[in-house]
Amino acid sequence: MESQTLVNLIIFLLGFVFILVLVNMVLVFRLKDIDPFRKWNPTTINATLFMLFLIFGLIAAYVSTGNYEHLFSLVNDPASLHGVEIDKMFWNTMYVTILVVVLTNSLLFYYAFRYRQREGQKALYYPHNNKLELIWTIVPAVVMTILIASGVQTWHDVMQEAPEDAIEIEFYARQFDWTIRYQGEDKTFGQTHVKYIDPDMGNQLGFNFEDQAGHDDVVVTEIHVPVNTPIKMNIRSQDVLHSATLAHFRVKMDAVPGMPTSFWFVPTVTTKQMREKKNNPDFDYEMSCQQICGGGHWNMRRVLIVETQEEYEEWLNKQTPFYASYKEMNGIEDGSTNTASEEVPETTANEDELAAVVN
Amino acid sequence: MAEITEKLHSGSTAFHDEVGDHGHHDDHHHDDNFITKYIFSTDHKMIAKQFLITGILSGIVGIALSGLFRLQLAYPDTAFPFLESILGKWAPGGNLDPSFYLSLVTMHGTIMVFFVLTAGLSGTFSNFLIPLQVGARDMASGFMNMLSYWFFFASTVVMFSSFFVETGPAGGGWTIYPPLSALPQAMPGSGMGMTLWIVAMVFFIVSGLLGGINYVTTVLNLRTQGMSMDRLPLSIWAFFLTAIIVVLSFPVLFAACLLLTFDRLMGTSFYLSDIYIAGELLHHAGGSPVLFQHLFWFLGHPEVYIVLLPALGISSEVISINSRKPIFGYKAMIGSMVGIAVLSFIVWAHHMFVTGMNPFLGTVFMLFTLIIAVPSAIKAFNYITTLWRGNIRFTTAMLFAIGLVSFFITGGITGIFLGNAALDIPLHDTYFVIAHFHLVMGSAAAFGLFAGVYHWFPKMYGKMMNPRLGYIHFWMTFISLYCVFFPMHFMGMGGVARHYYAFTAFDFMSGFVDLQKFITFSAYFGMVGQLIFLYNFFGSIFWGKKAPLNPWKANTLEWTTPINPGHGNWVGAIPAVYRWPYDYSKPGLKEDYAPQHIPDEELEYEEGFQPPRPVPIERPAPKKKPEVEPSSEAETKEEA
Repeated sequence: MESQTLVNLIIFLLGFVFILVLVNMVLVFRLKDIDPFRKWNPTTINATLFMLFLIFGLIAAYVSTGNYEHLFSLVNDPASLHGVEIDKMFWNTMYVTILVVVLTNSLLFYYAFRYRQREGQKALYYPHNNKLELIWTIVPAVVMTILIASGVQTWHDVMQEAPEDAIEIEFYARQFDWTIRYQGEDKTFGQTHVKYIDPDMGNQLGFNFEDQAGHDDVVVTEIHVPVNTPIKMNIRSQDVLHSATLAHFRVKMDAVPGMPTSFWFVPTVTTKQMREKKNNPDFDYEMSCQQICGGGHWNMRRVLIVETQEEYEEWLNKQTPFYASYKEMNGIEDGSTNTASEEVPETTANEDELAAVVN
Repeated sequence: MAEITEKLHSGSTAFHDEVGDHGHHDDHHHDDNFITKYIFSTDHKMIAKQFLITGILSGIVGIALSGLFRLQLAYPDTAFPFLESILGKWAPGGNLDPSFYLSLVTMHGTIMVFFVLTAGLSGTFSNFLIPLQVGARDMASGFMNMLSYWFFFASTVVMFSSFFVETGPAGGGWTIYPPLSALPQAMPGSGMGMTLWIVAMVFFIVSGLLGGINYVTTVLNLRTQGMSMDRLPLSIWAFFLTAIIVVLSFPVLFAACLLLTFDRLMGTSFYLSDIYIAGELLHHAGGSPVLFQHLFWFLGHPEVYIVLLPALGISSEVISINSRKPIFGYKAMIGSMVGIAVLSFIVWAHHMFVTGMNPFLGTVFMLFTLIIAVPSAIKAFNYITTLWRGNIRFTTAMLFAIGLVSFFITGGITGIFLGNAALDIPLHDTYFVIAHFHLVMGSAAAFGLFAGVYHWFPKMYGKMMNPRLGYIHFWMTFISLYCVFFPMHFMGMGGVARHYYAFTAFDFMSGFVDLQKFITFSAYFGMVGQLIFLYNFFGSIFWGKKAPLNPWKANTLEWTTPINPGHGNWVGAIPAVYRWPYDYSKPGLKEDYAPQHIPDEELEYEEGFQPPRPVPIERPAPKKKPEVEPSSEAETKEEA
């Protein structure tokens, strides 16, 4: 650490001396009315620099892409069914755009170099050419149409209703963490609403315990899902906007207070398989928040584990329903008790209905 | 025309020497005192300079803020004690507070987008060039123009004052999405700072509208004789369309801000519903945060083009002049700008594909969004063709214009990814987006600003900027911006989220720390380059070489004014216009340019070339323009 400080100090001093020398030279040259760069032709220099910039830029882009490719987890190794589609489209678009960017930038810099001002050179008076302009209107239009068509197709596939047999999981966001809820044996979520939230009793999700359907709901902080099964995420937030993001699965949907949202996907690669594929025994699928939500935005991590159906069921069976531990914790004997005071208005009872209205 | 001129002569005191000091000639500016000349000026040129300088000062602040948070991103775990000494409680122990980090990025975004690239760019050059290039003595309303600047100034004052309130400046991102921005409990930055943000933005909207209406009116009504719409320089077309977008879109932001204020201060529920925050259940019900996003982006997306179009207009002008070639496809350029302007209003929801908006809307907005790539592509190709077989002069402005085209292509093309709703699912709110808009909107527009400053500096201050310092500035900035923003594509493809205080919490993001360091150092390198610009700019105002009348041998009307034009721009009559502005290197002409105000028969032709026969219509005899300071005497004489 100390040697580091010393090195920094030396670099700083050298920089300082360099600036001093520079200032000194400028002053001397100005005083003596000397122009040290008199013979430098700015046209040639700038034109050449453009060419160099192009060449080194392309090399640098190529090399650095190679250096960082193993980290491109958002566009390589998709872990979901629709992710494969999205990645394919991403790379197709990428190839087209790389071609266009390299070609146009090359022409731009090459022309700047080639047609730099020279003695006796006269520019060509060439105000327009309808045929050319038509070409570069139609070609991009056609390419765009193809991209739009495939984009619309994929978008619709991803956004269609989740299949009936999907496992529904609730992703509940607040500043600054995620809580995960499973439906339990009855395959139904119990009713929840912010009005029932009572942190003192541990009812963070706002369960309405009058609703029997909620009594077997399981609340966890680590997400487990079986491989090759449709998963429907029911996303909600209790305070500000958040965004449920599962980068490896190409999943992202905002959590909106007052408006439940959803997203469904089919995980296709188990955590174990991905660890082997990435040759990284510590790899985990990570869930993040990607909509600015406050000071802890950067730290809303949850781990998602994809496992076989058997492993998943085994895990699920080990979980205790939330209501059981709630009763135990608060010493409640029987019956259902809401602790948060107010009556629930009828209108908010059905959140799906509300969502339909908002949409 | 004569009527207007006369009105201007008699209506505005600024044109006249009220003291009646006609007898003797002196070189002083005698018709204005300090306050009316430099502060509450109604002269569009002075107002342009006010916008420019305020924009530059705002830019210094905005860039300095990015310097602070870039430090945090490169060294997330290192304490920098000097931060505590300048920021106090916002950097306890030398580590930035996470909420203040968000305030920094929010203010950086706000300042750069609105103050630097909207007011500093469009405000400066619309003001400066519209009257000069269309041939008008001033804006349609000089007074409104003055108000426009002072509302902008008030806006900056209010915005910067938010750094000094206890809870700090706004921190919800420059898009200020509620509920985060609506609830002071949600983060410190949503307290007083947010209120000041809204107030400042309201002033800014007023400023934009006053300016915009003025620009539109001036372009439509005050063009000089012969200056038909198809003879306007492309810069004017760009400013004109920009002003129309401003007038149509900014009021919607006002509405959005007003409703947000109601939610914040009066307990309404436009954007809020079912919220439990900081241990407290709020009464709000029935509002929709998505509604705000629709309103915001109805301005927010056109805003991108408000920033970009003037830059494209300036670069069209600069590229044509310095290639010594007509801009290729003048009408196509206008057409594509009109196309962009129209489409810019119907693409806003591509910012909202994954916000819970109905997926069907996503389809519609994806369609329009990708269509907008077509006019953009036309523009890029036309720029390149303009360079082809030109005789390219590398003035500093030209370098920046070429750099702009490069950024426009490289940054714009990633819009094809982000505008595609399916691809936007993974890419949304990652560094891919940051890379995209910093290149296409930030860097390209900033280069438009620099190109404009270097190109029109001689007209603004009557001095030349130092070209060598300009070259160094250009290359440092160009290299640094590519080094800063290009690698961000990699981070985007790695799934790195934006607005993150640190990337250490996630395994898949933490691999980019060394790249972050590289970006930070590149950014600092670029900032040093900006110091050179500042020195060159402010130094040249005082010590620059005196500028010739038409230093770039350009065709447009602004170069027919005296070197330091007074209020009223032209001494004597406003020149009439006889051709479009892009007759560079026209075959048969002796010079490689043909100024707009010189009729065909007065141009010098090469030997043996048959000049076009003069068209038999009556036009006023062009006046010889004296190369002296404009004086009200000449005008008065003429009137008499």
